[in-house]
Amino acid sequence: MVKKIKNNDLSEVKASGCALVDFSATWCGPCNMLAPVLEELSEEMGDVAFFNADAEANMELSSKYGVTSIPALFIFRDGHPVSQTVGFQPKEVIKGWIESNMK
Amino acid sequence: MRYDIAVIGTGPAGVSAAITAKVRNINIILIGPGAMSWKIRKAHVIKNYPGLPDISGDGLADAYDKQLKSLGIEITDTKVSMVYSMGSYFSLQTSDGMIEASAVILATGVVSEASLPGEDDYVGRGVSYCATCDALFYKDKTVAVIGYSKEAEAEAEFLAETSEKVYYLPVFGKEYKECGIDGCIDGHAVQNYSVSGKYQNPEVISDIPKEITGGLKADTLVCEHGIKKVDGIFIIRDNIAADRLVPGLQMNGGHVSTDLSMSTNIKGCFVCGDITGTPYQYIKAAGQGNVAALSTVDYLNTLRKGM
Repeated sequence: MVKKIKNNDLSEVKASGCALVDFSATWCGPCNMLAPVLEELSEEMGDVAFFNADAEANMELSSKYGVTSIPALFIFRDGHPVSQTVGFQPKEVIKGWIESNMK
Repeated sequence: MRYDIAVIGTGPAGVSAAITAKVRNINIILIGPGAMSWKIRKAHVIKNYPGLPDISGDGLADAYDKQLKSLGIEITDTKVSMVYSMGSYFSLQTSDGMIEASAVILATGVVSEASLPGEDDYVGRGVSYCATCDALFYKDKTVAVIGYSKEAEAEAEFLAETSEKVYYLPVFGKEYKECGIDGCIDGHAVQNYSVSGKYQNPEVISDIPKEITGGLKADTLVCEHGIKKVDGIFIIRDNIAADRLVPGLQMNGGHVSTDLSMSTNIKGCFVCGDITGTPYQYIKAAGQGNVAALSTVDYLNTLRKGM
């Protein structure tokens, strides 16, 4: 399951050992294509917590992490961003990217 | 409705792939310029195409057209801006909406325009390709729109609704209008051009972009005759590099990495023609189109068995 981030609140992300945060918006085509891919990955990757942040509703977070293009994906480990990527990617590519950042 | 195969490109590779797939009774959609790739039509004479000695480019294109028609293959004349690999199928974003297909054959040729220096380094940090996606990050800020195609004008106007200042650099030249086709872009700045939109805001700049620079974020567009300080740069192209058209596609230099079966690192995505590298030859492209179609048919069979 992909959990929604509300009110710029990252506490659940920070409490997760390894988390993926997807900044997106409903009117962004590539974001909408990425959403089901992340949903599937969240079912397959039990060790990773998946989150989605509406970039506009959470503008404070978007600015804090320098998001200027969506979809933007961040991997957080122990509360700190360790890697980021921009744009749609196929499932296997995202999976590989997450795995390489879990070690 | 989901097609079995979407073939993108109407050069020798795409046409050949479509013919082979159709003969194998596959449900296909062939997407590209309806009058065939301009690269065929521009050829003066082709010396080495077996069975058709000294045929002209126009002659070859017309022969393709005739064969496609006899097989009942229609060309869908639309522009594909993005191909999403969704796992067991593909979603194609086109100018006329979304198209779904189980497999994709890319026969889109080579892209002559290289990225601007600095462009690749600043993707997501000031460089964007989608105004509708990213306009909100530039509310009350200054942006530049580099337009390699006419569609950029709409993007510039869209940004002008929210951004404080929009510089618009149309860089499609006179030749582009004359031939009316992709790839004729000559890189010259357009003179005496204005945007007659609802918003007066976009300021048209007749200059040629040379480089994108900045610190952590892109903040400067360096042009031939001056620089522009900006918060963001939107680049709108007609011809899209293969790995930007299909995110995640593995490249080798300017071409797509492939093997003798014409497969790629993305399952269900096959390639043929100039996109695979040199030699850029019509007959090689046609041969690869045949192989790509047969490999795709094999892939579809394994996909069905797996389900």
